[in-house]
Amino acid sequence: MIQSYRLQPASFYQETPKELVILSIIAQSFFQPFSLEDNLLVILTALTSGAGIGFNRAMLFLSEGEKLKATMWLGPRSPEEAEAIWAMLSSPGIGYAEIVEHNQELINRFMPELQPRLRTLEYNLDEEDLKLPALAARNREIVHVKEASSEPLVDARFLDFLQVDEFLCLPLIARNEIMGEIVVDNAITRAPITSRDIELASLCSLLAGNYIHTTRLYKKVLEMEKLAALGEMAAFISHQLRNPIVAIGGFTRQLINQPCDREKCQRNLKIIQDEIKHLEDIIYRMSHFLRIKVKELVPIDYRPILLSIKERPDIRTKAVNKEIVVSLPENNSLILCDPVYFEEAIINLVDNALDVTPPGGRVYIRASQRNKKWVTIVIKDQGPGLDEKSQEKMFSPFFSTKESGLGLGLLFVRRVMENCGGKIEVRSKPGRGTMFRLYFQARERGPS
Amino acid sequence: MKRILLVEDDRNLSLLYQEELSREGYEVSTAFDTDSALELMRTKSFDLIITDIRMPGKDGIELISSIMGMRKDIPIIINTAYQSYKGDFMTWAADAYLIKSSSLDELKAKIKELLGE
Repeated sequence: MIQSYRLQPASFYQETPKELVILSIIAQSFFQPFSLEDNLLVILTALTSGAGIGFNRAMLFLSEGEKLKATMWLGPRSPEEAEAIWAMLSSPGIGYAEIVEHNQELINRFMPELQPRLRTLEYNLDEEDLKLPALAARNREIVHVKEASSEPLVDARFLDFLQVDEFLCLPLIARNEIMGEIVVDNAITRAPITSRDIELASLCSLLAGNYIHTTRLYKKVLEMEKLAALGEMAAFISHQLRNPIVAIGGFTRQLINQPCDREKCQRNLKIIQDEIKHLEDIIYRMSHFLRIKVKELVPIDYRPILLSIKERPDIRTKAVNKEIVVSLPENNSLILCDPVYFEEAIINLVDNALDVTPPGGRVYIRASQRNKKWVTIVIKDQGPGLDEKSQEKMFSPFFSTKESGLGLGLLFVRRVMENCGGKIEVRSKPGRGTMFRLYFQARERGPS
Repeated sequence: MKRILLVEDDRNLSLLYQEELSREGYEVSTAFDTDSALELMRTKSFDLIITDIRMPGKDGIELISSIMGMRKDIPIIINTAYQSYKGDFMTWAADAYLIKSSSLDELKAKIKELLGE
């Protein structure tokens, strides 16, 4: 017998401890590709929903530098609204996903109106006579406030906003850094906040704090990766351009400063001309390879294109004393790609393959229909193969084993494959040659 | 006559340096990659080595470690287009780190200094 369960349980046994329920709700959302805000909303939901801890309302503050800013407020605004929401939420078949969805809708509906008012709740954590709720975050302690109106440590503006006499401040801390704060209350039911509530709420704040921290770290890492890639590119471009420029400058200086006979003058000028051509070439290739945009995928007949490659003059020149062996499948399915990019990608790989294959060797181009979904094209050389270190680097921009290589060719091929919804595989071993296998989406040829 | 080994994969630059340094009165041998540079070092002795860093095959840093492994006490000048390798601690083993420039004055001055001329 087989019984199936939902990956994410919609309801729990009555006797399941609340801690587990809350952890489960939050864990479920953390594994989803939700945004930071969505996940924080889930935590606010765990704090406020009946199945969670059941506070009436929750307000979220996020830290921004030395500031603590109110950013989200979840909860009914009146007893009538509360009744309507709670009735809806207690109807059978409503799981957490639905509650979160409902809350999201609520937030979307009220935030435009609420936002300007929330924005007035902003605290400077450096301030000397900082009051609650922000003081709780600065002191890194959970604060339970009762009889708030007679408590001088509570910010009057905040109280005016909340209109409640009892509330709980939950600082969100990660690695001793203040990430934010959540303030919860029972403004509608007036139920007293119990020590059990505080225990459960602290679990939520712990998770929220660390979640915000992780998200912020991740953002920083992404930025750093971008900067690193940019730095690598700048270094590479400056190197690529510097060599020709130094040669042009150096030989020009010779022409100006040193006596030279006609022959040497001519030679220098020829070098200068070549290097300028080289610079042009670099600029062309850079802009060409880095700017790939497949506008529309079309079914293309790849077979004539593969057959024509070995007839190209540039390939023929390279293939002297080498053989290009093309084999094609019997059936005549089509592949999805951009015809121009497709041809350029294949030429790129064949060109590489010819570069490394010794005289007398062969380069194979082999297309086959793997199954209904994929057509593969294999390009294999009889070159020296690549060690692991080179294989790891082969798709990174600016990695090249060739003297004049820009290190953009394979990156170009991979981008084309990604743009065409396909993929690229590499097999290589020192002494055994290198094989690239390209997977293209197959299309049946319609009746012509 | 002092002997210089020049390791530079760019043919035109190699020619430029060779001509300019010969004019200064040095005997210049050229290698286009690390392996042939090491080959030359086995058969000939040099007073100074000038090398680029990023080259096809083994790079200049590998060349420097190989030379250190040979326990040869030859001054090494890194002459490269890359500023970024200055932070690589292996380049500290070199006696000078120069950024390629169309004026060879700095390179020539450094050679003189390292050869104690």
